[in-house]
Amino acid sequence: MSKILKSVFNKAFLFTIASGLFSLVAQAQDYYIYVTAESEDEVALVKFDGEKATIEETIPVGVWPAEIEGPHGINVSPDGKYWYLSLAHGNPYGTLYKYSTATNEVVDTVMLGLFPASLQVSKATGLLYCVNFNLHGDMVPSTVSVVDPEEMIEIEKIETGVMPHGSRISADGMYHYSVGMMSGELFEISTTKLKVNRKLNLDGIEEEEPAKGGMDHSMMDHSKMGHAAMSTPMYHSATKPTWAMPHPTNGKVYVAGNGSDEILEVDLEKWEITDRFKTGKGPYNLDISPDGKYLVATYKGSGETGIWDLKKKKELPRVKNTRMVSHGVSISPDSKYAFISVEGIGGEPGTMDVIDIKNAKKVASVDMGKQAGGIIFWKME
Amino acid sequence: MKKFILSVFTLLLTVNFLQAQDLSIKVSDENISMKIGQTLQLEAVVVDASGNKVVDRDFIFYSRNRRALSVVDSTGMATAVKHGEYDVIVISPGDPQLRSNIRVTIEPAAIAKVDFGTIPEKIYSGITVPLELTVTDEAGFERPEKVITLTSSDEEIVSVAPFTKLIPKKAGKAQVTATVDGVNKTLEINVIENPITKILLKSDKVEGRSGDVFTLNAMALDKDGNEVSDAPINYSFTGESFDVSAAPSGLITKEGKFVADEPGLYVLNATSGPAAASITVQANERNITRKIDLVGQGSVNNKHTSDLWVWEGIDGKDYAVTGTWGADGTAYFWDVTDPAGIQLIDSVKVDARTVNDVKVSEDGKVAVISREGASNRKNGLVIIDVSNPRDAKIISEFSENLTGGVHNVFIYKNHVYALSAGRKYYSINIEDPSKPRIVGEFELDTPGHSIHDVWVHDGIAYSSNWSDGVQLVDVGNGIAGGTPSNPVQFASYAYPSGSNHAAFPYKDEKTGKFYVILGDEEFPYGLDPDGRKPARAAGFLHIIDFTDLKNPKEVAWFQVPFAGSHNFWIEDDILYAAFYNAGVRVVDLSGELLGDLNRQGREIAWIVPEDPDGYIANAPFTWGAQPHKGHIFYSDWNSGLWSAKLQPVVPQNATIENK
Repeated sequence: MSKILKSVFNKAFLFTIASGLFSLVAQAQDYYIYVTAESEDEVALVKFDGEKATIEETIPVGVWPAEIEGPHGINVSPDGKYWYLSLAHGNPYGTLYKYSTATNEVVDTVMLGLFPASLQVSKATGLLYCVNFNLHGDMVPSTVSVVDPEEMIEIEKIETGVMPHGSRISADGMYHYSVGMMSGELFEISTTKLKVNRKLNLDGIEEEEPAKGGMDHSMMDHSKMGHAAMSTPMYHSATKPTWAMPHPTNGKVYVAGNGSDEILEVDLEKWEITDRFKTGKGPYNLDISPDGKYLVATYKGSGETGIWDLKKKKELPRVKNTRMVSHGVSISPDSKYAFISVEGIGGEPGTMDVIDIKNAKKVASVDMGKQAGGIIFWKME
Repeated sequence: MKKFILSVFTLLLTVNFLQAQDLSIKVSDENISMKIGQTLQLEAVVVDASGNKVVDRDFIFYSRNRRALSVVDSTGMATAVKHGEYDVIVISPGDPQLRSNIRVTIEPAAIAKVDFGTIPEKIYSGITVPLELTVTDEAGFERPEKVITLTSSDEEIVSVAPFTKLIPKKAGKAQVTATVDGVNKTLEINVIENPITKILLKSDKVEGRSGDVFTLNAMALDKDGNEVSDAPINYSFTGESFDVSAAPSGLITKEGKFVADEPGLYVLNATSGPAAASITVQANERNITRKIDLVGQGSVNNKHTSDLWVWEGIDGKDYAVTGTWGADGTAYFWDVTDPAGIQLIDSVKVDARTVNDVKVSEDGKVAVISREGASNRKNGLVIIDVSNPRDAKIISEFSENLTGGVHNVFIYKNHVYALSAGRKYYSINIEDPSKPRIVGEFELDTPGHSIHDVWVHDGIAYSSNWSDGVQLVDVGNGIAGGTPSNPVQFASYAYPSGSNHAAFPYKDEKTGKFYVILGDEEFPYGLDPDGRKPARAAGFLHIIDFTDLKNPKEVAWFQVPFAGSHNFWIEDDILYAAFYNAGVRVVDLSGELLGDLNRQGREIAWIVPEDPDGYIANAPFTWGAQPHKGHIFYSDWNSGLWSAKLQPVVPQNATIENK
């Protein structure tokens, strides 16, 4: 087969596949989403039928009935057969669980680092990358665990920044992006080399040491930090990045600046911040619609969801969430709906809101266990 | 036309599928043999159906056992560390993603030596000598799988018995040789004629109760009546139970301490070679059971209840505070002056989901509650003015270095000891409770260390550190020069299960023994499948004799099968222990402690909080117990605060008259 003919055939093949997928999507009616309840030690499987969201199943997770183990990060394997869950608390290390989507039963587990959080399987390597947030530990650089999900073996720990969080992998599966929440850095890891490719200080600090959790105090307000018993104060990022989301096509990574109330646009070619979008209070988690048009951000501090038209670089009218402490976001493959987890406060239930992205409108909501956090879209039927 | 398009599509799909399927990953060798210390470059390529190498493919290598076979993931450079068979997984990322497996066999090193272990200085005829043989290879690894051949040069003097034991038969010299893979080690044995002709055996008492410790004193004498001080004495016992339905049982230690589980007659034996002596002792019924009555309840049935603390208020009345779990951050205050009429008098709600622990200062003025699940993830603790518990007022919140959640706290002499992130505890000065300030901290440096609880008594902090066991830390006692700002660890004890969850010290004034009781927390049976009822717990209480601080020893245990221990308290030689699924167990700790306390009949009473109107109906899950002014107060996860009364001891032969 000549190269030209092969190319034509491949394009025709892709077009046909895309058409088929579009057709399937157009007919789909039901959306299924997994949502963690961090203070209930539960995961809810939620069904949204286009009008109403309901809890299909509640899956108790963990092994300690009298201790909160804190299900935090959640994701689904590329083939949809498994979902992976990080349980943040342990003695002292957290655990990664592998569940079958067919039965919602545990398949296997592996212990990771301190407070494992967001995670994702690379479609290029088949390996799972999970940040060890170390939220409750000392302000020292932590790691990204690399796990072979077939064997459930941790094969590598890659050191990044202080409180690694908010990780997502590029569409081709080749690069893993995460942030150091307290060191104010964006990290790019090669999923095939298992090494940090490059890092970018988001606070605008060029020195190496402060970004590693060192002692640069220029952007700190120590009067509010109460370091009475500490001999030397730690660096706290002013940007406090909490999420990194690579765009599927435009060569940008968007970073939630939870401390600076902005979303940072990072150009991957230039490896620099090329734009900043002022947001509501405390942008926390991000997702981008698969068609690349919209970026959706949870505003943790104001209990709202922000939808950004990326072409116009303008925010649509903000959507008030059902309750306070908006947490995670996951967008359906048809780019129609954003599913938002909302933690609530104290004894309030957690909630999953469904937002019609294009119309910037909340269209459904369902309560679940306390402190709804990690959220991931599973399938459409 | 449609058919044509469909055909083209099908053809394309097939071509692409076949293209993807045609690629495969080839490794240099699927079975590789290495020697310890050797490094080897593992090779892998991706080939097409024709066997042609596909360029621009990356590879990730990893070993399923990195400690034994180290493999650099990006290069595939392998280093053999320990003998055995191991798998190396090779992944080639891309589309299609390919995987393969390399089996690496690391050849064991040659045997270097065999050791006999410690041998008694004097070997007497007739007294068996157990050997502790070890085999080590040239790489330094122990090789327990190796079969050792033992031979004696003179079987008349010393013979070899199964399970690597030597039987010295008569005086004389002989050589015992251990052989493994052609490597020999010879031991010169000089068997001495056994001088022991008689054993004098005494017991500190001949009659006691089940659970009482009989201390034996065995003296080996030669034919002239002289003591053979280094004579090895073995102790054993036989028995006959008073109850025909119960088997006689007990425990005898190598130091000659005996305790009977079952009442009965027991023959205690001391032997040293052919010399033997026996003494018969009688263990009577312990007979310490007492009646326990439920007195009152302060029901909490709309949320889970956690820990409790009962204290005498500054007005002379009695009060309790209870926490809540997985709820809305509420702590409840109760008037328990009348234990039969427990009254809810106030509550404090903080930004949390769990108030796991509650404590009150010695003067009854200040309470501290722990927070987990705060909405801003800045948990810490809350200090409350409880000088008037009917109007409990928050004085201050404190989260510095405690944002990860405080699971347990303790107040001792104007300092709060608060756990942080399950890794360490801080000592926080609250002389001015409105301005708490961290003055010190204690953290282990062991790999993967963690902590669950801290309890302070007499200036010593007892922290429960899971697999690192209990840590005794001077925070003002003076035994090790410690202070709240300079905690000094001076003793510890860990046990293999790694389940140490709580600790409570106990000094027995009569025996002079100093024990620390360590509680497990275990849930080996998993969560309730429907996620509604509490799980069945396991674990028990370990009694550690800390009389010799440098050589603590686990001497006894208290277990309730299929229940699982949680928090506990000791007062006046009585243990009040909450067992999750089995309520409060009241246990007699008087006298020396040895063996299985439950089987010995040391349990005085038990009471289980079952509440049909509970948060989960009739599902006891008891959290903690505390004696206070003649009553027992206890909290239950599903039903709130309870009180009970342990009835006085009824004198034997007393008659109870009906009124």
